[in-house]
Amino acid sequence: MPENERIPAPLIVEALKAAFRGQRTAPAKDGEPLGWVLSVPDTHQRSVIAELEGDDELRLLTCSTEDEANAIAAGLYIGGAEVALMIQHAGLYASVNTLRGVGLDGGVPLFALVGLLSREPELEPEDSPRSMVRFAGPLMDTFEVPHALLETRDDLGLIPEYYALSRERSGPAVVFVGRETA
Amino acid sequence: MRPEDVLRAINEARGDALVVPTMTAVPAWRTIAPDAPSVACVGFMGGASSLGLGLALAQPDQRVVVLDGDGSLLMQLGSLATVAGAAPENYTHVLFANGVYQTSGSQGIPASGSVDFAGMAEAAGYAFTTRIDTLEELRIRLPELLSVRGPVLVELAVEEAELTPMTAPGGDPLRVQVERLRERLAGEE
Repeated sequence: MPENERIPAPLIVEALKAAFRGQRTAPAKDGEPLGWVLSVPDTHQRSVIAELEGDDELRLLTCSTEDEANAIAAGLYIGGAEVALMIQHAGLYASVNTLRGVGLDGGVPLFALVGLLSREPELEPEDSPRSMVRFAGPLMDTFEVPHALLETRDDLGLIPEYYALSRERSGPAVVFVGRETA
Repeated sequence: MRPEDVLRAINEARGDALVVPTMTAVPAWRTIAPDAPSVACVGFMGGASSLGLGLALAQPDQRVVVLDGDGSLLMQLGSLATVAGAAPENYTHVLFANGVYQTSGSQGIPASGSVDFAGMAEAAGYAFTTRIDTLEELRIRLPELLSVRGPVLVELAVEEAELTPMTAPGGDPLRVQVERLRERLAGEE
């Protein structure tokens, strides 16, 4: 994929802000972030993470594990904050019990951007020879978690759409990041 | 110390703190503090410290008290670093150290008796850590532990609990607890 077709990180950050603003019922108070991004660093989304580190409206918190990120998200949600996760597919596999407990049993609207590291651009993820890529979508299907694939600028609307969906269904919703961000 | 006595002491001292119990603390807390603003970590063992961290970050003006277990914390030990990194000043992490996985049959935790949880929290960067062995000392120090700048970790040497989530199941489903506390907090703003 040509470099100029990769999604620039600032556009993803703006899409996250739009997602958060779409759910807030009141403007952020002094000192309160517009929303939180919980990250376990992901190679595909590293430019977004770097962008978030300098952002004034969003608060980035690096977590030790994806299990933690899910549980922290639950606490933030209960406390009235907006929150999104940015993780890697390996972390999604590693944290499925917490995703199940928090998102399905707890009814917490977990929204996650999940990087599909090593995904072959010419293949659909389900056709990838790499199990890490191939089984990510079916895993979410098993958990009845709606998911979509973010690849180009035209897909950026998926971020507020699936964020809102997670709130509407009181459960998880995932947007896979199919290509490395710019 | 009997964990039930510890929970009664915490309930008497907690003020308006938000509370996150897990594992053996859950059934006793349900009885001792039925009206406390609480949400239990059940079904994702090891998540209490993180659940409490999220609450503390979203509600920085309210104390958050996590009632954790030693076996539980070991399942998400990295959360000590995550909590320390986030540095919530309103966070008190109470660790019930009985040395066993009581709920599953009291199997010993790894390195039972030699793991220094307060020391690990201090090394991770918690602002205040301590270990307490008697109920008398705990009662005296609770006001400090619930008000000093956090994150705080207090390791308590406790006996096994009277009840576990296996011997005393029940309570509201997590989904109900989540929405009830969320609505309660929204109503306070």
